[in-house]
Amino acid sequence: MGSCMYPVERGAYKLLSEIGSGVSAVVYKAQCLPLNSTVVAIKVIDLERSRPNLLDDVRRETKAMSLLSHPNILTAHCSFTVGRHLWVVMPYMAAGSLHSILSSSFPHGLPEPSIALLLKHTLLALHYLHAQGLLHRDIKASNILLDSNGSVKLADFGVSASIYEPLSSAATFSPFFNDLVGTPYWMAPEVIHSHVGYGFKADIWSFGITALELAHGRPPLSHLPPSKSLVIRITNRFRLNHDDHYHHHQYHYLDDEDAKKKNKKNKKKFSKGFKDMVASCLAQDPSKRPSAEKLLKHPFFKNCKSPDHLVRHVLQGLPVIEERLKESPSSVDGDDDDNNGSGGVTKIRRISGWNFNEDIFGLNPVFPCEKKEDPSPISSSFYSSSFLEGGGNDGDRKRDDHVKVREEENKKDDEIHEEGNDPGLLGWKSRTAETLVPGLISLLNSLSLEKEMVMNVLESCRGEGMGIGDWESKEEEREQRLVDMVGKLQRTVDGLTIQLKGESAKNAALEKELQGLKDKNLT
Amino acid sequence: MKGLFKSKPKTPAEVVRQTRDLLVYADMNWNSRETKREEKMAELSKLIRELKSILYGNSESEPVTEACAQLTQEFFKENTLRLLIICLPKLNLEARKDATQVVANLQRQQVHSRLIASDHLEANKDLMDILISGYENMDIALHYGAMLRECIRHQSIARYVLESDHMKKFFDYIQLPNFDIASDASATFKELLTRHKSTVAEFLTKNYDWFFAEFNSKLLESANYITRRQAIKLLGDMLLDRSNSSVMMRYVSSKDNLRIMMNLLRESSKNIQIEAFHVFKLFAANQNKPPEIVSILIANRSKLLRFFSDFKMDKENEQFEADKAQVIKEIAALEPRDRP
Repeated sequence: MGSCMYPVERGAYKLLSEIGSGVSAVVYKAQCLPLNSTVVAIKVIDLERSRPNLLDDVRRETKAMSLLSHPNILTAHCSFTVGRHLWVVMPYMAAGSLHSILSSSFPHGLPEPSIALLLKHTLLALHYLHAQGLLHRDIKASNILLDSNGSVKLADFGVSASIYEPLSSAATFSPFFNDLVGTPYWMAPEVIHSHVGYGFKADIWSFGITALELAHGRPPLSHLPPSKSLVIRITNRFRLNHDDHYHHHQYHYLDDEDAKKKNKKNKKKFSKGFKDMVASCLAQDPSKRPSAEKLLKHPFFKNCKSPDHLVRHVLQGLPVIEERLKESPSSVDGDDDDNNGSGGVTKIRRISGWNFNEDIFGLNPVFPCEKKEDPSPISSSFYSSSFLEGGGNDGDRKRDDHVKVREEENKKDDEIHEEGNDPGLLGWKSRTAETLVPGLISLLNSLSLEKEMVMNVLESCRGEGMGIGDWESKEEEREQRLVDMVGKLQRTVDGLTIQLKGESAKNAALEKELQGLKDKNLT
Repeated sequence: MKGLFKSKPKTPAEVVRQTRDLLVYADMNWNSRETKREEKMAELSKLIRELKSILYGNSESEPVTEACAQLTQEFFKENTLRLLIICLPKLNLEARKDATQVVANLQRQQVHSRLIASDHLEANKDLMDILISGYENMDIALHYGAMLRECIRHQSIARYVLESDHMKKFFDYIQLPNFDIASDASATFKELLTRHKSTVAEFLTKNYDWFFAEFNSKLLESANYITRRQAIKLLGDMLLDRSNSSVMMRYVSSKDNLRIMMNLLRESSKNIQIEAFHVFKLFAANQNKPPEIVSILIANRSKLLRFFSDFKMDKENEQFEADKAQVIKEIAALEPRDRP
């Protein structure tokens, strides 16, 4: 273990420059003075940030890191506290994250041979993690780092979990987890519907999304404006009729001429093997997705080039990390979530159906097509009734295998929503980097806020009834009741889904029996 | 078709016996010929991995109860556990992790509805001494630490550790500069002081004086932020546990303890303030406050009331607000009792 070498005191390190930041952590480029001023990366985490279980997350992350050893996994040299901050000293990955490489130099994606190589090394890391009984749970381009020699490392174990170390002391060994983690675009359907529980195959899904991200320069659906209303907008029926969100994006954002060229180019760009590999990762049914081990044997990963290839084709001429940071000062990724303090968020619509479209090499979301959703500005009373109609509709519940709807409201959002409906006004390219990340963060925020609100309601229901004072508190109360209702509906829906599964299992058994009887009759 | 010529699969008991043989070899022949030793160590790593997959299952199959029982029985028949613990530093990282998971799992395996691991450890308590000393060796600290926490799931073993001299060492271990190791030690410390209620109550009652003297001076008054934060949280957990009520009464009758809490309330860290409040409220709510406590509270009354009027959690919390109102009421109503 190299950890003995690196001193565990602040004075031994000299911070050089900031190379990334999240809500509760900043990453610096630094030198370790006693070790010939070796360059390292130091993640400085503020332990005082409000999220109460941050400390546990940090512990899990550092522990996971210090017990791992694989060439494609970023591990820590050491970690120690400095006042209320934790310093995690790591190898410096000079070329930065694939996300920053994409946004600075490859906005339309990387060439396929480079993708194959990057994905293969990521997959080796994933295979190692899974064999350790660990889930990564946040695979995406911003968590894949490159060194100047072309070596690839998977980073950020902030949300990883171990099947050998159940978080509850109940201690049943189960490879399933029910807490919601990850970053929305990359999340697998069964993670979003976390009542089903999920396992290693969720990482495989995110791996598939990451493949699309590397191919196109951004994850699928990310062309949708990253405001808080982001998720609603996809439900707009007009948009749903577009069969290709990548295509759609180009159609709207580039000149017609350009778009046509690009489209032609894009359609031919990827090999059958690549498409097939991604398609297998994005199978709806987690059990149909290959394991990391099996995926490594896919023909797409045969004949991969050497890391040298990356140096020549990807890293050459790339601006250094600090320069890239100046161009887009937004955070490195959306890993931290609390505090955006943006007040009563938001309409959240969950998408759970994703159909991978091999032709266009992207995802088509599945939505409740008959849902009455009026995208016009709405008052809170309108909101409540529309929600009740939607959520209370029996037909919808039956389809709920595909769709969950949870919403709250925020009036301000509607303006953004309106404005955003005309995407032609906005240059996509320039907006990607700075708007995507905050969008993701606010989406995640709204999820946790939502959870918190439901918790509050549950708590206040247990206690005495709320005092009905002034008008505002009534409104608040009504809003809370709505949230409560959402919670209840969600549970009902979950219950029904489970019942449905049970019924279809029974049904299948009966059909089998019937078939057996028929066969007997025939013979 | 390589599989056709494979020898008959080993029984779980055979895997254990082969592991033990190789552990004996590893223990004795550390200086034998390089290549031969490497071969044997590789074989040993493979066997430990096999033990793990019998106990935990693998991607193809779930664990089989009968196989687990056989393995467990054979494992504790002789000194395999001791050998495994002693040889751990000689294993490579992957084998160490596997070994740790095997030992952890074995603590929960029942044979004829008995936890035979517990019986085995009872008879080999000195193994705990070895595991605890692991905190002094960075390379193995996390592995031994994880094993240790599994072992103290057994009440009698936890009692042994609590009553041993090792308890004193934990006050230093949890302040080690290495964050992972310090965290691991504090997780173990917390487990020891919260898991087995009756044992903990007995320990705290018997060892009250030295334990809280150390706890206050080394942890609550530590210069280290993370130490103070964890210690005040743990103190709250201990004192608010019903089974420790007599210890709590004793703690909240001391003016020195009160002074420490009031200092923690003034910290700039919100997390520490909130946790300190949960302990401070016990001093205020005590219906039999000793006169010295009363006089400190009266002397600081206006400052305290001003402090509490601005003291809020980031998120609204009804219980917290109710507690605060109660504390304010108690302090406001205090009358000096030493001058009738």
